[in-house]
Amino acid sequence: MNTRRSNVLLALACATFASLLGGTPLGAHAQSPPDWRGYWIGEGLTAEISGFPAGGDYKLLGQTAPWSEEGRKRVEATRARQMDQKANGWGFPLMMNSAAPMQFLITPRETLIINIYRDVRHVHTDGRSLPPEEDRWPTTWGESVGRWEGDTLIIETVSVRNPNRYFFSSPPLSEEARYVERLRMTGPDRIESVMTITDPVALSAPWVVDLVYERAMGLDRMMHDDYDNDRSEVEDGLFTIVPPKE
Amino acid sequence: MIAKTLRVLSLSSLLVLPLGLHAHHSPAMFDFSKQVTLTGTVRLFQWTNPHSYIQLVVKPADGAEQEWSLEMGANAYLYNLGWRPSTVKAGDTLTVTVVPLRSGKPGAGLLVEAKTADGKTLGANP
Repeated sequence: MNTRRSNVLLALACATFASLLGGTPLGAHAQSPPDWRGYWIGEGLTAEISGFPAGGDYKLLGQTAPWSEEGRKRVEATRARQMDQKANGWGFPLMMNSAAPMQFLITPRETLIINIYRDVRHVHTDGRSLPPEEDRWPTTWGESVGRWEGDTLIIETVSVRNPNRYFFSSPPLSEEARYVERLRMTGPDRIESVMTITDPVALSAPWVVDLVYERAMGLDRMMHDDYDNDRSEVEDGLFTIVPPKE
Repeated sequence: MIAKTLRVLSLSSLLVLPLGLHAHHSPAMFDFSKQVTLTGTVRLFQWTNPHSYIQLVVKPADGAEQEWSLEMGANAYLYNLGWRPSTVKAGDTLTVTVVPLRSGKPGAGLLVEAKTADGKTLGANP
């Protein structure tokens, strides 16, 4: 066996072994994903004891979005129904700029983005394309594929149900919206992202949003729980707080 | 505290610019233009989701005891700030700052600051 043939067989064996382990040669990060360990939160959006952040800027609510005529109608409609609405999480895209700490779980084939409200995004980075139209249906978190370009994770998301249906302050984008995110760690405690949203129904131009994530410094683990103590009930069109169940 | 939110979040602006958000209910129930300071005794601390609550028994000098339901953020938010389930216990004396309900109904509100009897503020970042 000559040296060249030996090297080819060795490479094939390594590839087979890597495949068995779940790895696949998809780029620079296939075998060594970047280290984004820890918990991240929208810049300035750390919630205080009230549950509200002291500062920060919710950039994905839509105030700066280039709404089309249809989009403006949708925004007006949503304003009328904010007073007595509840949400069971943030949904997409709002979870990407919220007070809820989140985690990027990066593996060679898939990145999971999970927050403390159990909003979960599955970002497939195994080289697949988005599913064909006939295999898609709109959901609160949409359908995502991603790829690594160097240390930048590029995520494309489609089939997101009107986000305002899930969270009362979310932008009322249509199910035809397409979201492209470019995320990159720019420092040990900072991840920057640019999200570009196009929507032929609700927007008249691409809506570009610069986002920053900083570390949620007080978390050593992520705990999930259900909404087992919801004491808010509607009274005369506004929520009130009812006594505890004991 | 939530001064920025308080300055901006009138009812009318809320409809246009909902700055105060948490992932559960609309903040329109609170009157962010007002604050109330209360001193009382903790009867119950609920370390729960989607909100934690302190039940505070307040006895005014010239009135009957009244129990306040004080809403806080989710327990995970409090944990991130250094709170633990044992941070507040029944029997503790607290002086609290509360944003009251927009309805004007007493006995409930949003807790924005809590101080112990020795003046220590609870809830600062760790």
